[in-house]
Amino acid sequence: MTALRLAGALAAAAACLSAGAFAQVGAQAPQAQVKMRAKADVACRPTSTALHYDCTIRLTNARTGEPLGGVTLTVGADMPSMPMMHSVRPVAAPPEPESGSYRARLALEMHGDWALQLNLSGPLRDRVVAIVRFEPGRAESRPGG
Amino acid sequence: MDDYLVGVLSNIGIVSFIALSAWLLLLTGEISFGQQAFFAIGAYAAGIATALWGWPLGAALGWSAAIAGGAAVLVGVPTLRLHGLYFAIATLGFAEMVRLLFEQFHYRVMIDGELVGPNGSDGFRGIRYIFENDVGSLQFLALIYLLLAAALAGFMLLERSRLGVAFRMIGEDDTLAALNGLAVARLKILAAGLAGALAGLGGGLYAHLTTYVEPRVFDVMLGVHSLAYGLIGGLGTALGPLLGVVIDIGLLESVRAFAGYRMIVFGGLVAVLLIVRPRGLLDEALVHRIGRLFVRAPPAGP
Repeated sequence: MTALRLAGALAAAAACLSAGAFAQVGAQAPQAQVKMRAKADVACRPTSTALHYDCTIRLTNARTGEPLGGVTLTVGADMPSMPMMHSVRPVAAPPEPESGSYRARLALEMHGDWALQLNLSGPLRDRVVAIVRFEPGRAESRPGG
Repeated sequence: MDDYLVGVLSNIGIVSFIALSAWLLLLTGEISFGQQAFFAIGAYAAGIATALWGWPLGAALGWSAAIAGGAAVLVGVPTLRLHGLYFAIATLGFAEMVRLLFEQFHYRVMIDGELVGPNGSDGFRGIRYIFENDVGSLQFLALIYLLLAAALAGFMLLERSRLGVAFRMIGEDDTLAALNGLAVARLKILAAGLAGALAGLGGGLYAHLTTYVEPRVFDVMLGVHSLAYGLIGGLGTALGPLLGVVIDIGLLESVRAFAGYRMIVFGGLVAVLLIVRPRGLLDEALVHRIGRLFVRAPPAGP
């Protein structure tokens, strides 16, 4: 019984700690559904260097469909089948002349499916994830990504 | 702080939860290849809670730990009667079952003109709580390590308690522990529940860090790694699995020369350590020796 009391006390202490820690962010929850969201279309093609791909990213406002220009974009990548084990260092994606269009060159560690993390900052802070299959000589985005 | 460094530190913190989860079961003498299932349950539960139900993050994380812990207890009741290889296979089977169930799980809700929610094998996108509520990446990193510190403090207290001694006794020899009056089955189920809750909490944090989860994330690779961290880092202290995580994600990540060969290097490291130090780098003997350095020598007699 002493053991169970100790476990209960530990759980209660952890719960109190968590509640205190999250009180600030928890209080902001009701406004969560009014912020603008970004949507991304990603098209990548191989370069002459093995495992290097040029990716064109078109960002739009998820609600209106308008191009999303003027944000600072970085692109990182992680492998869904090996989460957190193969992280590609985020690279900057400078804007292209076409509004809402950005370009990044990715250097991957291996072929396979990668979850591209598109990190937006500036006027809009957001993260959009796109799943792309990279194979020798080609790359294909998963629909809905 | 560099975004990449924040990302790597966040990964180390989150993986530590599932590593501690597998380590707790190792402490009771059971090898689980299935802790990724509770990580997955926690990730989906917390993601649904914030993205679809509009819960605050703290409540969602508590919910993820509770539901994963509850699932672990339910799985523990029939499987903890098994031992060794049989238990390991049972946990692996359960984890694959959970992963395949998430492949079939569809629960989408229209939010702000966009369908959000789990969509089978296409995954669950749009868990944007930290972006919609302006939680900075450093703030989220602090939350991860705050919770990890709380978990570690819990383990430190556990090690000094009768419960911790009971867990280690069961891990050494559960028949002998039962003969000494310990309720082995009940204590193992308690350990399984705590381990599941820890993994679920890690999963909840992971879903909010990446904003995206899919069933493939939770396959056996994650389970094998979480187990390997305890075996590399050592079974002598709760800092052992954390050391294992730091070696894998921290050290191997910083040495980019390994790049695509990293899994081979990691596998080799596990194999060598299992031969040279079967109970890991921080094994019980080393922890005891280190502990004695900090214990004052008794005063000299008259």
